[in-house]
Amino acid sequence: MPTVTIDNIAVEVEQESTILQAARQAGVWIPTLCYHPAVPPAANCRLCLVELDRGNWKQLVTACNYPVRRDITVSVSSEAAVKARRGVMELLLARAPENAQLKALAKRMGVEGTPWPTVTKTQRDCILCGLCTAVCDEVMGRAAIGVAGRGQNRAISAPFRQPAENCLGCGACAAVCPVGTIQIRIHEKEGEIEISPFKTRAKLLKCEQCGAQVVSVAVTEEALKRGKMDWAKFRQLVRLCPKCRQKRAAADLSTVATLASQIGYLAPPRAAAKTKTARRPRAAKSRKK
Amino acid sequence: MTVLETKRLAGPADLEQWRGDLRQAAGRITKRVRICLGPGCVAKGAAALYDRFREAVEKSGADVEIQTKCVGCHGLCACGPIVIVEPGEIFYQQVEEPDVAEIFRETVLSGRLVERLLYQHPVTGQKVKTADEIPFYQSQRRIALAGNGFLDPVMLEDYLRIGGYTALAKALTGMTPEEVLLTVEKSGLRGRGGGGFPTGRKWRSCREAHGQPKYVICNGDEGDPGAFMDRVVMEGNPHAVLEGMILGAYAIGSHDGYIYVRNEYPLSVERLKHAIVQARDAGLLGRNILGTDFSFDIRINRGGGAFVCGESTALMASLEGRPGEPRAKYVHTVEHGLWDKPSNLNNVETWANVPAIINNGAAWFAAIGTAKSKGTKVFSLVGEVVNTGLIEVPMGMTLRQIIFDLGGGVKGGRAFKAVQTGGPSGGCIPARYLDAPVDFDELTKLGSMMGSGGMIVMSEDTCMVNIARYFTHFLMDESCGKCTPCREGLAQMLAILDRITHGDGRPGDVEKLETMAGILEGAALCALGKTAANPVMSTIRYFRAEYDAHILQQRCPAKQCRGLFRYQISVEKCKACGLCRKHCPVEAIAGAKKTPHVIDQQKCTRCGMCLEKCPFDAVLKV
Repeated sequence: MPTVTIDNIAVEVEQESTILQAARQAGVWIPTLCYHPAVPPAANCRLCLVELDRGNWKQLVTACNYPVRRDITVSVSSEAAVKARRGVMELLLARAPENAQLKALAKRMGVEGTPWPTVTKTQRDCILCGLCTAVCDEVMGRAAIGVAGRGQNRAISAPFRQPAENCLGCGACAAVCPVGTIQIRIHEKEGEIEISPFKTRAKLLKCEQCGAQVVSVAVTEEALKRGKMDWAKFRQLVRLCPKCRQKRAAADLSTVATLASQIGYLAPPRAAAKTKTARRPRAAKSRKK
Repeated sequence: MTVLETKRLAGPADLEQWRGDLRQAAGRITKRVRICLGPGCVAKGAAALYDRFREAVEKSGADVEIQTKCVGCHGLCACGPIVIVEPGEIFYQQVEEPDVAEIFRETVLSGRLVERLLYQHPVTGQKVKTADEIPFYQSQRRIALAGNGFLDPVMLEDYLRIGGYTALAKALTGMTPEEVLLTVEKSGLRGRGGGGFPTGRKWRSCREAHGQPKYVICNGDEGDPGAFMDRVVMEGNPHAVLEGMILGAYAIGSHDGYIYVRNEYPLSVERLKHAIVQARDAGLLGRNILGTDFSFDIRINRGGGAFVCGESTALMASLEGRPGEPRAKYVHTVEHGLWDKPSNLNNVETWANVPAIINNGAAWFAAIGTAKSKGTKVFSLVGEVVNTGLIEVPMGMTLRQIIFDLGGGVKGGRAFKAVQTGGPSGGCIPARYLDAPVDFDELTKLGSMMGSGGMIVMSEDTCMVNIARYFTHFLMDESCGKCTPCREGLAQMLAILDRITHGDGRPGDVEKLETMAGILEGAALCALGKTAANPVMSTIRYFRAEYDAHILQQRCPAKQCRGLFRYQISVEKCKACGLCRKHCPVEAIAGAKKTPHVIDQQKCTRCGMCLEKCPFDAVLKV
């Protein structure tokens, strides 16, 4: 197992782990924007630059995707590394000077303001980190949005800038967007969820119990498909909003507790039971019987 | 063009037999006309010349067989269209359609020279007969371009006649893959596409990498403005590229090859396709090459239409059908490249050198060039130089020799100012370094690089700040946009350079450019971004005075940037014709009949109309 010495802290890491993983192990903070554990690192924001000691020279590398294959020494706080990260952040701030999340990250890095004017146009502060397209493609398997154009005209969009037909309305893109470009809009009256700015809309599911519109029909159908089970109970639960689902689960559990105490067997309280029920229904089934 | 039927060769003996037959047949023909159909000559109408010569041959009914041949670029494009007549290798230049009849009658049939179409020696003033007497060709050493001008690129027979596929036969039947690899390693061949990475070392890494299949790829995405070296090899001698690739595949242990040709070179695609079909039919490509158990085949892919697709990881992404965007190279493509398999990528010119190295040996190649840069290099000499075209010279020749001895110096007798080398990743080199030898390392020391071989000659009339602006604009257009520093940084630099060239520069602008250059170099994802600031930095280094003049005085010393220089009427030359006064849109010119006219500098908007209209060249830029 190779050792990464990062800012003088030595940590042993798995072969092929990244410098970022080593840094997290060592408790050293490196700023990131386009990194997310759910998708492979793209290393395109260039914010996580650190200095790698190569003996007779030093190389700036991106921590999120540099694979550790032997013992290496890395400096996060060297002058060159700090200067490089500052340079990148200042360029990003020039691109989206009013963005709150970007400014907060900059502040944490010790960067206030930027010497550069704004010369590029953005789609609502989009910094083109690519996380939205990555989750949509690789995690959700839909690829409803992608990158269009090159260079200055690079933009995230649905095919032909039309509302994407295969968008689930799941909002994963909005969840991972680090600068809040992608927004979810619930249109109560039409019963639709909109992913802005892609203009995509999906029909919302109405909770059978209380009528709340929380998730789209498409997501529900996809969950059923992925779940690959005929379990009637799951189908029922999926048509409820989270609040009603919790109430139903609580009601079920109190039934179990009563039964258990009646026969003299009391299972210890399992706070994680709810999620486990959703993922491993078979185990839950046997627990109930 | 008749294409002879290709027969499938059973082995090296068959090959030699065929070669012998072809040479004998060719030897029986004494009269031959070779018409250059390289890009420059075709642009000047050479295709029509070919038709006229064909007609002349058919109509003449001469009792001696005459062959007309379309050949690839000779290199002296400034003198195109070029026609060479055998016997005697009579070199005719700037040939036009009406000249065909005369050449045919006088030279082809009767052996007499048409003096006016011969090349005139720049020093002696005498007319010369053959290319060997022309300074442009005399200092050249042609290896990659050896076949250009002598063979018809659509005839495999011609390639065989001049010795083609000898190296392949030698390697497949007389050498092990390791021996082939060792030969290329020892030769010192370095990549000709710009990176200059030792080719043998790359081959070895790919050979030793884990994974099957292994891929051998040819980078034909030549994208540097002004570069056409690879084009001319692909169009003029495609079999040289194929032979090189087959040899490389044999050494590495690959059976699948790709040639990635930029979409904007349809003729290159056509010629390579044609060559591949011929080679396959002859058993020189495909299954069981030359009767051995080595199989290797090549596919052609057309480029995605972007400069960045020439970057190796972007090229492989494009080959896979994904957008041509680079990725980090912490994991090398020789280990995980195309389809995540070990892949060896080399430039067209690199591949074209391989057969000669196998034929003549590593020592032969290593004896040419400098200590660290072996062999020759093809350069495209363009810009304000007299002999625009392509040359191939040993590494180590100086810039002065290339530009002045071979190139004939600066056009129009203007003063030399700088030469831009290495394309958008390179820089400008001023006059005081003209005696620098040209090789991979020397030019890098001067803040430029040899790159893929582009050399743009600039005179005193070129504004160096505008040159920086031009390359920055090019790179900004071609940037894939994936990473922050390249996408944002180039836009910032262009904004600054735009202001400077429009007279709106501010003190501190140069320092801002320098800061941005530092960010790009350290933070960019790929080589396009990392070297993007080179044109700007090299012009700041050597032509700082021009930047200062633009910024501090709103003046362009080269008098190129509109609005940043003045117009003045020469008292001696002015004939008081009044044309300038009539056309001045702001009535800034005063003058009467017989009095030299004067421009009121306060009123003048520097539109340049007076200079355009003056028939006596009396309006000067100052």
